[in-house]
This record gives sequence, C-alpha cells and structure tokens, in this order.
Amino acid sequence: MLMIVPLNSLKPGDRGIVVNLQGGPGFRNRLLGMGIAPGAIVQVVEVYNPGPIIINVSGTRFAVGRGMASRILVRKL
Amino acid sequence: MAMKVVALAGNPNVGKTTVFNDLTGMRQHVGNWPGVTVEKKEGVFEHKGEKFLVVDLPGTYSLTAHSIDELVARNFLLTGNPDVVVDIIDSTSVLRNLLLTIEIFEMGLKNVIIALNKIDLAEKKGIRIDPVKMSKALGVPVVAMNAKEGIGIDELKEKIYEMAHGMTKTNPVVPKYDPEVEREIEHIIGCLKGTELENRYPLRWLAIKLLQRDDEVMKLVLRHIGEEKLKEIMTHIGEAEARYGRAMDLIIASQKYEFIDRLTHEFMSYAGKEEESLTDQLDRILVHPVYGFIALAIVFYGVFKFVFALGLPLQEWLGDLFDSFGQWLAPHIANETLRGLLVDGIIGGVGAVLSFFPLVFLLFFALSILEDVGYMARVAVLMEGIMRKFGLPGKAVIPLILGLGCNVPAVMATRTLEEERDRLVAMFVNPFIPCSARLSVISFLAGAFFSSNHALVALSVYMIAIVVALLSAWLVSHFVVKGEESPFVIELPEYLIPSWKTVILHSGERSKEFVKKAGTVILLGAIIIWYLSNYPVQIGSGKSYAERLGYFFEPYIRLMGLDWKAAVSLLFGIIAKENVISTYGVLYGSEEAIRTAMTSLQAYVLAVVTTLYIPCIATIGAIRAESNWKWALFTTLYMIAVASIVGILIWHVGIALGPS
Repeated sequence: MLMIVPLNSLKPGDRGIVVNLQGGPGFRNRLLGMGIAPGAIVQVVEVYNPGPIIINVSGTRFAVGRGMASRILVRKL
Repeated sequence: MAMKVVALAGNPNVGKTTVFNDLTGMRQHVGNWPGVTVEKKEGVFEHKGEKFLVVDLPGTYSLTAHSIDELVARNFLLTGNPDVVVDIIDSTSVLRNLLLTIEIFEMGLKNVIIALNKIDLAEKKGIRIDPVKMSKALGVPVVAMNAKEGIGIDELKEKIYEMAHGMTKTNPVVPKYDPEVEREIEHIIGCLKGTELENRYPLRWLAIKLLQRDDEVMKLVLRHIGEEKLKEIMTHIGEAEARYGRAMDLIIASQKYEFIDRLTHEFMSYAGKEEESLTDQLDRILVHPVYGFIALAIVFYGVFKFVFALGLPLQEWLGDLFDSFGQWLAPHIANETLRGLLVDGIIGGVGAVLSFFPLVFLLFFALSILEDVGYMARVAVLMEGIMRKFGLPGKAVIPLILGLGCNVPAVMATRTLEEERDRLVAMFVNPFIPCSARLSVISFLAGAFFSSNHALVALSVYMIAIVVALLSAWLVSHFVVKGEESPFVIELPEYLIPSWKTVILHSGERSKEFVKKAGTVILLGAIIIWYLSNYPVQIGSGKSYAERLGYFFEPYIRLMGLDWKAAVSLLFGIIAKENVISTYGVLYGSEEAIRTAMTSLQAYVLAVVTTLYIPCIATIGAIRAESNWKWALFTTLYMIAVASIVGILIWHVGIALGPS
C-alpha cells in the first residue's frame, strides 16, 4: 500500500494497479473509457524520453503523454 | 412495412467498419448525423428475403457526454429505437471492450448481440474464449467472428434476424454496485419517479449518469425536476463522495471494472505467452523519437510519390479531355451566350471538379491503407510534442503534409481528428500550406526574377507560409475555437494487413462525396469568372467586369506595390491558383511580358500574396463541406487579412532596404 507512485515513475516491464486518476472530468472520462480505471493492471512497455510512455492495459497498447501519466497513480506490483 | 433497424456499436479499432462492409457490401451510403459533422454510415442487407437497415454508430470507448461521437452514438441508442444492437468486441481486449457493453446494458437495451471479432488473433495470442459460456455469462447471444475473412457473418445475420423477430430471449447482465452506491442510485430513482422521464428513459441509467455528473443528463433532468431538486440530488452525491474520499465516477468505474474482471473468468482463459509481439518490435522503431521520424519521412515521401506520380497525369488528362470536349462542342452551338456559358463556364467547371477526382481518390486510398495498417496512430504519437506547441494534436500533421500536394483532399483529411475543435483549427490553417498549384506560381516568378538564387527565394516563400500557418494555428486554438485540449492518450492498435475491400470502399465513398460537395462550389465559381471576363465586353478590352473590378481594387493593392493587373490575376486565382500567371498572360499578351512589367520586389510580393491570400474555390468548398459556411467565410477573410498585412510589410521593408 505504501508504494503508490505516478505511472511515469515506472520503468519498462514494471506493472502496477491503478488506484487513482488526478484530473478533471474530461481527463478522467477519457481514461476510464479506455479501461484505465482504478483496479486495472497497467504494464509499462516502453518509455521514450522525450516522448510518451507506452503502456499495456488488458491487452491493448496505449501511448500516454508524460503529463497525463504523472496524474495516473498506481500501486507498484 | 418499415425496415428493421440494426445499430452497430463498438470501440475504435475493433473492425467495426469491416463488419459493416461485410454486412452491407456496396449497398451503403455516407452522410452526416443531423446537426453535427460526425459521419453517418448506413447500409442495407438482406436475409431470408427481408431487408435490414444497418446504422454504423461512431466508434467510441464509452457513451459519455464528453465527445460529440459518444453523444451521437448514445442518443441513437436511447432514442433511435434500433430493433437490434450489435456490439462489436475485439477478442484480444475483451476486458476493456466489455466496459462499453455493460454501459449499453445499463441503458436498458435488451436486444443486443455481441460480435466477438478478431477471434483468430486472440487464439494466436493464447486467449481462449468460449462463446457459449460468454453468452450465458452476459445474457445475450455471442457470435465469434473473423470479419476480415468473412467468417461468422452468416451466423450474425441469422442471429439478427431471430432477434428482430422476437425469437431470442435475453437477460443482459448489469453490475450491482456497493451498498452505498446502490443507496445513492435508489435515492435518485426515488426523486425521478413520477416525472415524464420515467416513460422515456431507464431511470437506473439516468441515476448512474447523474452520479458521474454527466452534463447532458444533468441538463435533461433539470428540465424535468427543476433546479432545487437537482441541487438536492447533487448535494446528496457530494456527501457520499466525501464519505468515500473520491469522486463517484472513479468509484463506479472501478467497481464496474472489478465486475467485468470477475465475469471474464467464467468464459475466458489465458495461456500466457509472454513473448514480445511483432507490433512491439516494430514500434521500437516506428515510435522511437529518432528512428520514428526517419521512418515517417520515408513513408510520407512514398505517399506523395504514389499520389502525385499517378494522380497528376490523370488530372491533366481529364482536364484535357474536357477541354477538347468543349472545343468539339463549341461550333455546334449557335447562340454565343449559351456557347460561352456551356463551354467555358459549365464544361470548364465540371472539368475542374472531375480533374481533382484522381488525386482525391489516390490520396484517400493511401491514407486508408496507413490507417488500416495502424500506422496513423504512430504518426500521431510522434508528432504530438511538436504540434501541441501550436495548439494541435499530433495527428493534425497529416493534413498539413498533404496540403503541400493539394489542399482539397488535405482539408477532407482533417476528419481523421476526433475533436471538433482540432478539426476546425486544422482545416483553418491548411490553405496556408502551399499546394502544387502555388508551387507553379512561386517557381515561375522566382525563375523569372531571381535567376541566380531562385531556389532560395522559392524556399523563403514556403517558409513564410509555414510560419504563418503554425502561428495561425496557435492564435485560433487559443482565442477562437472553444473546447478543452484533447488529452494525449492514443491507442496503438496491432499492426494489421488492411482489408482491401474496406480500403477501396472507403476511398471511393469519400471521393464521391468530394465531387458532390466541393463540386457545386467549383462549378459556381467557374460560371462567375466566365461571366466577369466576358461581360459586358471580353477581357483584354479594359472594359470587362473583371478588369473593372481590378481598377476598383487598385488603390488597395497599391499598398502592396501591385497594380490592377495583379488584382485581376489574383481574382482569377481564386478559381485555381495557377490562373494567376495565365491571367497575366492574357492581360499582357504573353506570360513572358511579365518580366519587364514588374520589379523583382513586386514579383516577390506577388508570389507571397498568391500563396497566402485566399484558399482556392475548391478548398473553400471543401472547408464548407467539412464544417459550415461561416467557418469557410472566416477562413477566407482571415487569409485576405493576413496576406494584406504580410504583403504590405514586405513591400515597405523592401522599399526601405533599397532597390535589390
């Protein structure tokens, strides 16, 4: 429970369970619809710097901007 | 008897279009949903001698009020009374796809069939899904499909037929939330009972949407129960959220997610193969911040080569064909006015429209392939950082690049952007990107007046245009169009070999639409120009309306150091930008005569103004088709203003710097 970190701090290969989304309704909505909801397991596939983070959520890959990733809180597995 | 209506719903990238094409084949029609620029596709299929109308809803992840696509899909499901809803699911990503399914169930829809598409891909990945068990778990029929190969289509048609005739019993499963959430739902249902809403909407769905603070539902409920009552409900929700310590939409989403997760265990198993997929390997190059850009440049160079190497000769050939047809027809018409109108106005105009057809078709063909393969999503990811600085999403770079060839298909390509706001900005700045017609003007003037460094001069005009386009994008996205900036999260679909049927149907439909919509504007423009240059006396006499307009605008264009001849030329350039040079030819007797009639500074101003001043009439037509008259007019006026300012600036700076 102590290891709650923003998604952008994970390294490629790391996995985490989404615990919270910190942002406005539009932001939350977009992610929730895509299955990036509290309880979902997220695996980081690749991290590009500069650039997005590539994640895998239940079999689908998404590119997420750094700003957005920092507002997705996960419990590291 | 009215045809039974079948609605297709599903997430993006699930193969919805392929299923739609499999069902309807060529019997389809593309239009817009009333009042919005969201594409509406309808088609017909026949089964057991009965015809069914298929409506393809926009592909969405959920059904909230946050995006116009979702609203369109939701409203159709709520009020369109579809006889059957086919929810298409990607078998490789069932968990996420079921979020939408459950939302549809929560809307109270009972006649739902699940089309479990891409079943072959799931098997390859070691995902095993039992359709029978899945059907039991969800309470609705499930059809396993591989739409690309046409597998499962007949079964789907049969299931649709059965359901449409009341032969299927369903019991869609919906989640029960935590007692606390359920108490909130009960409370809201209590408040809504007895109102008109009860007859028109499922109250449980309204309650859940209120908990999620859905704008549209809040407005709807407000109209029926009044402000005070709604306020009380919202306060009640706020208190519950305070007890939970987080927002209701998050609570509901996570409980729904858990519910679906449990559900999938009943029919799905995963023989975990952890090896890296081909998609991941390809993405290591194609999304990479360095190699990705190199790949991008190569891909678009290829697209350009393909479209223009094949399209330009065809365009020319079609143009010539209409010219010769006109010349053949001319002697057969005795009446001079009628002859002019028909040959120069109508045939010339129709020729201009149709000559664009090959370019538009090839471009959409190439784009459809890139889209179907899954590459467009990667382009969007790569360009996000750069484009965002100017208020546009990464994907918006595609229409901009295409504009270098021709702005007409480029403006039409802005529909690939999801947000209305982004579409408007992208089509607004597109005409600033110099198309190949303007290249001919720029290179002619550069060649005629700047022999030693013409390439550099031409390049500088391009740079001015691109800078103006990007700055305009920034301006408009910050001050004119409203709307939240779209968050940067893009699905990277698996790379797939495209379905040729889909690609060809798609590009054919879009090109046809272009001819219909942009066509009328181009035709109208051709007739006006014909009239202006032939009445009351033919052009060259100094007395035609065109020339009189030139004199009229002369004081204005003098500010940029140009004369009435330039005004006439620019006027005719509105039809097609290459006319700027040919009109000069008419006014001076020969195009070569321009060399002595202008200074190099004037030529430079003319080149820049030609590039910036107004979209050609075909582009205006395309903008109108993709948005509305108001936006097309605003774009046009803005361009005139910018061209004037830049023109005046260059002229005066040039004068100040002395003769060069």
